[in-house]
Amino acid sequence: MSSIFEYNGSALVAMVGKNCFAIASDRRLGVQLQTIATDFQRIFKIHHKLFIALSGLATDAQTLYQRLVFRHKLYQLREERDMKPETFASLVSALLYEKRFGPYFCQPVIAGLGDEDKPFICTMDAIGAKELAKDFVVAGTASESLYGACESMFKPDMEPEELFETISQALLASVDRDCLSGWGGHVYVVTPTEVKERILKGRMD
Amino acid sequence: MTKKHANWSPYDNNGGSCVAIAGADYCVIAADTRMSTGYNILTRDYSKISQLADKAVMASSGFQADVKALQKALSAKHLIYQHQHNKQMSCPAMAQLLSNTLYYKRFFPYYAFNVLGGLDNEGKGCVFTYDAVGSYERVGYSAQGSGSTLIIPFLDNQLKSPSPLLLPAKDAVTPLSETEAIDLVKTVFASATERDIYTGDKVEIVILNASGMRREYMELRKD
Amino acid sequence: MKLDTTGLESLPTLIAPQNDVVGDLSAAPSFDLPNSNDFDGFVKEAIQMVKPAKGTTTLAFIFKEGVMVAADSRASMGGYISSQSVKKIIEINPYMLGTMAGGAADCQFWHRNLGIKCRLHELANKRRISVTGASKLLANILYSYRGMGLSVGTMIAGWDETGPGLYYVDSEGGRLKGTRFSVGSGSPYAYGVLDNGYRYDLSVEEAAELARRAIYHATFRDGASGGVASVYYVGPNGWKKLSGDDVGELHYHYYPVTPSTVEQEMVEATGA
Repeated sequence: MSSIFEYNGSALVAMVGKNCFAIASDRRLGVQLQTIATDFQRIFKIHHKLFIALSGLATDAQTLYQRLVFRHKLYQLREERDMKPETFASLVSALLYEKRFGPYFCQPVIAGLGDEDKPFICTMDAIGAKELAKDFVVAGTASESLYGACESMFKPDMEPEELFETISQALLASVDRDCLSGWGGHVYVVTPTEVKERILKGRMD
Repeated sequence: MTKKHANWSPYDNNGGSCVAIAGADYCVIAADTRMSTGYNILTRDYSKISQLADKAVMASSGFQADVKALQKALSAKHLIYQHQHNKQMSCPAMAQLLSNTLYYKRFFPYYAFNVLGGLDNEGKGCVFTYDAVGSYERVGYSAQGSGSTLIIPFLDNQLKSPSPLLLPAKDAVTPLSETEAIDLVKTVFASATERDIYTGDKVEIVILNASGMRREYMELRKD
Repeated sequence: MKLDTTGLESLPTLIAPQNDVVGDLSAAPSFDLPNSNDFDGFVKEAIQMVKPAKGTTTLAFIFKEGVMVAADSRASMGGYISSQSVKKIIEINPYMLGTMAGGAADCQFWHRNLGIKCRLHELANKRRISVTGASKLLANILYSYRGMGLSVGTMIAGWDETGPGLYYVDSEGGRLKGTRFSVGSGSPYAYGVLDNGYRYDLSVEEAAELARRAIYHATFRDGASGGVASVYYVGPNGWKKLSGDDVGELHYHYYPVTPSTVEQEMVEATGA
């Protein structure tokens, strides 16, 4: 628990469904074992079909997010279009690698709809090594629990409603076995036509 | 004079996962059969399950040398118990004995993470879960070992049994039938094998019920 | 009549010089020690490897009607929650309770051991042991193992001939008499609620609610506390469990969620 990645506590997960994806996080911000806030935001919207969630050190997550928004806005001005998830993932990776010898203590999870609304999810380590997945990705202090839960609960090609149920169950089951994350959940389900945001009630201990 | 050991490390971790589920009239105890050290697999066919008494079965992960010593100590004590009382030890009694045996090594612990499953005096399934120095608790289901962190959240989700500490009390029996419980065990081992390098090869499942004991096996990934 | 003074002896009576795999089965069980020059370091390292459960909130206080004892039920190893249903209030005998903080095995074992000693005292002296006596018995045992790495922070609460009794005992040898204690990682939060709401002339119901609230608030703020808030009351007729509430439900009982106007919002995605 002495790791700087575990200082604030977090749990992130993203899952792919049929022409859609879901991304979820817990809501706790703590300082080691002390809970400071239970409405903390870890998932950020880049545009309507692209989300990034940042686990790890909260201050770095916020700084990194601001730099990403800045870069994305410049891209929009220059190109007059939104970034593709693949491009954005490369941008995050490049930004992280810039700080190779003094990294942001964050493990990002990126989820978006790409060309022809094909779902894209990926995660990377603190220095930008990309890891693309076809099913689900997890990050944060509850990552081990999440791996177990997702591995057992995930099915390919789920419809949005079933995907929401699955990701919520996986998230809540996992954070209930982690001291440093939980205190509610935050889920986005994204389809080509709409973004559904839901706040989950969870155990507050 | 004892020789001075600069860094004496008498422990190794051989990995492996153990799961036990208690039902109304049965108990399922399971463990994978892989034994590893570091990145090496020592054998793909090593049983982590030992029968301590007619109605008490223990599955242990951790350091298998310590586990073996623990099993021997317990079976010796159980033999003496049989000579003195002319009967098999009950599962709750074996649970207490295991706790004390572990605690008497408090300053030189057995590096063993155990789950004890069996049937109590009323024939109900019971599971006891331990830490390495003997603190124990009776539960409805449990997982121990390298894959336990992957398995437990899913079992929580599927079996969500009310806490025994609640007052007014709620019935805490696992609502699954025996076959459902066995299927669940197979699912969790298949999942744990995907992400835990110390779990795999084969899962050995021991089922205890009124008609006795039986064993089942299921192949797992071997990579 | 022979007094059992084993608790007062200065050297641990349970340590044997040697023990093979099974040991002498007819002899009384004893503690096996590592054959290492750096005993302290070894035990510390070994215990680090097996990672005992830590992180707790327990509290107890004396009031007009007796003693109220409460605790959470979580056991954690680092950040991982290894159990959500630990019995942290240990029933030593019908008139005495012990609480558990620190190493789970250390607390369980020595409370069980204390239970035996208390029963033997009862049989030898034809009367129940006083809370003072019982707590001193435990403190002396723990003191005899001082420096060997035991980790115990406990409160002994009970009712004896002199009325309600409450002692705090720890593995460093400390033993304090008092009317209000809280032990564990969540204790600062519990003390906040407890000190604010405590009065000597509380009724049993009020005291139980205060204890439950203090545990709930500790579980909310402390990551290592949670599970079920158990509340026990010790009165002239012995202890009684008053309640066991899942704090996951307790939170929404104390702070019901008012259906807000916009809980869900549908946003039309603009085409890229």
